[in-house]
Amino acid sequence: MKQPDPPTAAGTERRVIGERGNLFPARLQGETGVDVGACYQCERCTNACPVAGYMDIKPHQVIRYAQLGWRRELMHSVTIWVCLSCEMCTTYCPNEIDVAEVINHLRNMAARSTITPREEDLAAFHHVFLHELQRFGRVNEFWLMAAYNRRLSILKNKLRDGSLVADMRLGVSLWRRGRLKLVPHRSRAIQEIRRLYRKKGIT
Amino acid sequence: MKLSFYPGCSLEGMANDYGRSITHAFSDLDIELVEIDDWSCCGSTAAHSLSEAMSVALPARNLAAAGKMGLDLVTPCAMCFNRLRFSQQALERELYDVPWEVDGDLRVHDMTRYMASEAMLRRIRNRVKRPLEGLKVICYYGCQMVRPPKITGYTDFENPQTMDHIMQALGARVRDWSYKSTCCGASIGIGRRDIRDSLSHRILDKARQTGADAVVVSCPLCQANLDTVQEDGAGRPLPIFYFTELMQLAFREPAGDDWFGTHLTDPRPLLRARGLV
Repeated sequence: MKQPDPPTAAGTERRVIGERGNLFPARLQGETGVDVGACYQCERCTNACPVAGYMDIKPHQVIRYAQLGWRRELMHSVTIWVCLSCEMCTTYCPNEIDVAEVINHLRNMAARSTITPREEDLAAFHHVFLHELQRFGRVNEFWLMAAYNRRLSILKNKLRDGSLVADMRLGVSLWRRGRLKLVPHRSRAIQEIRRLYRKKGIT
Repeated sequence: MKLSFYPGCSLEGMANDYGRSITHAFSDLDIELVEIDDWSCCGSTAAHSLSEAMSVALPARNLAAAGKMGLDLVTPCAMCFNRLRFSQQALERELYDVPWEVDGDLRVHDMTRYMASEAMLRRIRNRVKRPLEGLKVICYYGCQMVRPPKITGYTDFENPQTMDHIMQALGARVRDWSYKSTCCGASIGIGRRDIRDSLSHRILDKARQTGADAVVVSCPLCQANLDTVQEDGAGRPLPIFYFTELMQLAFREPAGDDWFGTHLTDPRPLLRARGLV
């Protein structure tokens, strides 16, 4: 016999556990080796996190959401892009849950999906970085920043708030001090690396 | 003594002063660094964030090249060190397939810990010509070199000591503080400057409170963040040194102060006041 739905408070929508809620933690464990079920919400990860204040879903909530299979919320969150991978959460978890790895895995999943990242600039930087890497085999800061600032969405914002001028001023003062290498080094391994990109499905 | 050397992309650009001081410091210690032939980028945070498979594969190419050389590998960049170790461990567990043959026994050192072994510290003490007496420094380690301990192998990840020991060997007065491995914001400043500023300023504020003259770092990105964030001129200027720069300063007489001109926060007034240049 079907169980009746549990009562909900008036005016609040009942949150349904993701249709594959019970499978998502298993999938996570299979793909990352992390058992999110071990979390008892002590919030040590969130207390250790230097950027928790900028996150919409705090690290301990990420684990809870993962237990419940709420992938949609996680993939659309600011959290997965703001995370610095500084590994404080992982280091201090009393149950040895690799929280940073879970967040990183979600970021990987979001990057592969068609979801528009909530922090588009941060996501764009990662893409530009990988693109520059396969161009030269090594990453040159000057070309990296040029490629990043050339993106239309970023250029528009930077022109609007004047940070482009500030960036250029910083660039000039770095160049004067000999800290910018204007001609990129070309690695002989570019073909090897590009083959790798094609194989792993990144362009 | 010979070591294979993986400099990382930063040492060609923003941190070329770090690269130069490493060359000098190691040659003074009679250690030959053999750069890995045609090394490529480790993928850094970007590869890790977008595709973990790539973040294992990209360092693997360099690990394979280093393995062929048959020498211990040393890398000065915290991020490179972390990624190389991560890749090596992931390949050991056979989680990924890469087109290169990686030697699981290859020893990957981060430069500070390599330098802080008992034998190396003795060598450093013997080389010091001009002890950095009177220079009050604090050491800032950042994240990637010490965390996560499972990958980096640090046991004192809450209060790392490697650079502290090196600075003591050089004769500097090392102060203790609580923000040794708090994150400076890393590359987030490019997309979200507000976050980088708040994190880096907090570290600098705490550093000033200890009464230190300068901060010693080993990570090119930490140096860039802590140095450029001071451009707004708030608070006492705090030069950010690479630990090898101070080694060079202690080893060489006259050291020549030309290379300090590469810093945004000019350390020369401080060094002059302490009688070190």
